[in-house]
Amino acid sequence: MAAISVRNLEKTYDAKQAVKGVSFEVSQGEVFALLGPNGAGKTTIIEILEGFRDRSAGEVETLGVDPANRPTQRWLRTRIGVVLQELAVEPYYSVRQVLTRNAGFFPSPRSVDEVIALVGLIEKADARVKTLSGGQQRRLDVGLGIVGNPELLFLDEPTTGLDPSGRRDTWELIRKLASEGTTVLLTTHYMDEVDALADHVVVLNNAQIVATGTPASLGGRDSGAVTIRFALPDGVSASDLPVPIHAESDGLVEIQTEDELRVLHKLSGWALDRNLRLPGLSVARVTLEDVYLQLTRDEK
Amino acid sequence: MSATPVIGSFEGFSDVKLVGRQVRYEQLSFWLNPVGAAFTVGFSVVFLILLGASTGNQRIGFYGNIRLVQYYVPGFAAYGVMAACFNILAITLVNRREMGLLKRLRLTPLPTWALITAIVLSSMVISAVEVVLLLAVGRLGFSVHFPDNVGAFVVAIVVGMLSFSALGVAMSTLVPNQDAAGPVISIIFFVLLFLSGLWFPAKPGSGLAQFSSYFPVRHFILAVFAPFDTQKGASAWAWHDLLIVAIWGVVGFIVAVRRWKWSPRRG
Repeated sequence: MAAISVRNLEKTYDAKQAVKGVSFEVSQGEVFALLGPNGAGKTTIIEILEGFRDRSAGEVETLGVDPANRPTQRWLRTRIGVVLQELAVEPYYSVRQVLTRNAGFFPSPRSVDEVIALVGLIEKADARVKTLSGGQQRRLDVGLGIVGNPELLFLDEPTTGLDPSGRRDTWELIRKLASEGTTVLLTTHYMDEVDALADHVVVLNNAQIVATGTPASLGGRDSGAVTIRFALPDGVSASDLPVPIHAESDGLVEIQTEDELRVLHKLSGWALDRNLRLPGLSVARVTLEDVYLQLTRDEK
Repeated sequence: MSATPVIGSFEGFSDVKLVGRQVRYEQLSFWLNPVGAAFTVGFSVVFLILLGASTGNQRIGFYGNIRLVQYYVPGFAAYGVMAACFNILAITLVNRREMGLLKRLRLTPLPTWALITAIVLSSMVISAVEVVLLLAVGRLGFSVHFPDNVGAFVVAIVVGMLSFSALGVAMSTLVPNQDAAGPVISIIFFVLLFLSGLWFPAKPGSGLAQFSSYFPVRHFILAVFAPFDTQKGASAWAWHDLLIVAIWGVVGFIVAVRRWKWSPRRG
């Protein structure tokens, strides 16, 4: 059974349509990323899946139940964990106190000490929340999301405001949770995060899905053209090269090809015969960020 | 999924324990902010001491010539209840809503009724502490006797706690943001307190008394005063005043239920 199933979801606020005909499924144990610019409908979809917001139309199941169905909402909330976009923790409790309080809401929570260790706050366990840095509060926020030992974890921009090592730690934690069978629904603006974590991706723009797939295949990324770049060696002009180029500026050459092996072979053979180097040589597929920006560009 | 996917909104004794536990955390949150706690609880006590020491021995002709401090003790007991259950409760709820704390709790299995019950019970505990302190200061510092009719006093206090809590929750739903919460709620509160004769008792039948009789504050002060005031042969049970306080409470409850929001109003 899918952990989440969404079919033809619609949500309208007053006159504005926030979600238009969105359908997707999230399998148990996978990390699923919802991408899109601010206002694309990500948070609205997450709030509908959590049972926090009612939908206008369509069918939704979260862990096998309709999240809008009141009699099963309390049950559902014992099985989901939520990390909201905004930092929201009472300022006067200590880290341990607030985690202990929230653990008590759940039938089979994780141990508070384990959570403190998982989110890297051992040294701050007895510090007041208001004395924590923004990054530490974010870690506590993630801790509050997992203290109930959820089957399904909603992470709305979990690494915003974290420093690079904090982000890596959070990635490790998400991988660990996923490897233990927790389903993770993630939103983020960081494409490296998606590349590193997500099994599947949905890209939203203007309330609609514009692409779905794995991070590696999104937008034909795995099959499209490859870009080869290098600086022209001294005394060589672009017209001397054995292959056609697509752009040149300040001595930097760019070649686009779908046959990169043959082009590289020609180029390197030509350079070796003349005992030349090709400074800064790089071979790159189109990045996830390129694809994402392409997909979410507004055609106006 | 093995278990049946339904957990009732009330699960009996375990939920009663859950509320008790939540009240403890609410208390912890309140007392862990020592400045806020000292201000809330200390304000009424300091006021009673200052006023009692300066003008407490003046007599109030229209209340059977009792000493003013004899009026101040029940007056500030009423104030203590209103401060904790209305003023502080409303400001705290606006802050929690706008900070996203209510939304966060909404997404845990803690039922709504359990959360609100715990918040209101916690406010009642704080106001009970204030009432006990004020009675003790009145007795020890100014020889003010305890209420002649303890039952009437307790009923008046509890009706006030419930009604002003309902009004506090309702008030929180009317204030759009955190910046406005403190000033707006406190100004309304203190103007009503002043007009209702907390500092200077309004003579029954006067224009001020007439005006403030439309609001619950004066009626609550009088209902708490009545159990102390048996010298002129009046009843310890101020039923009329309690009824008006209770009606305001019901109105507050309806507004609170209809307008309650979990999410910050901004965005």
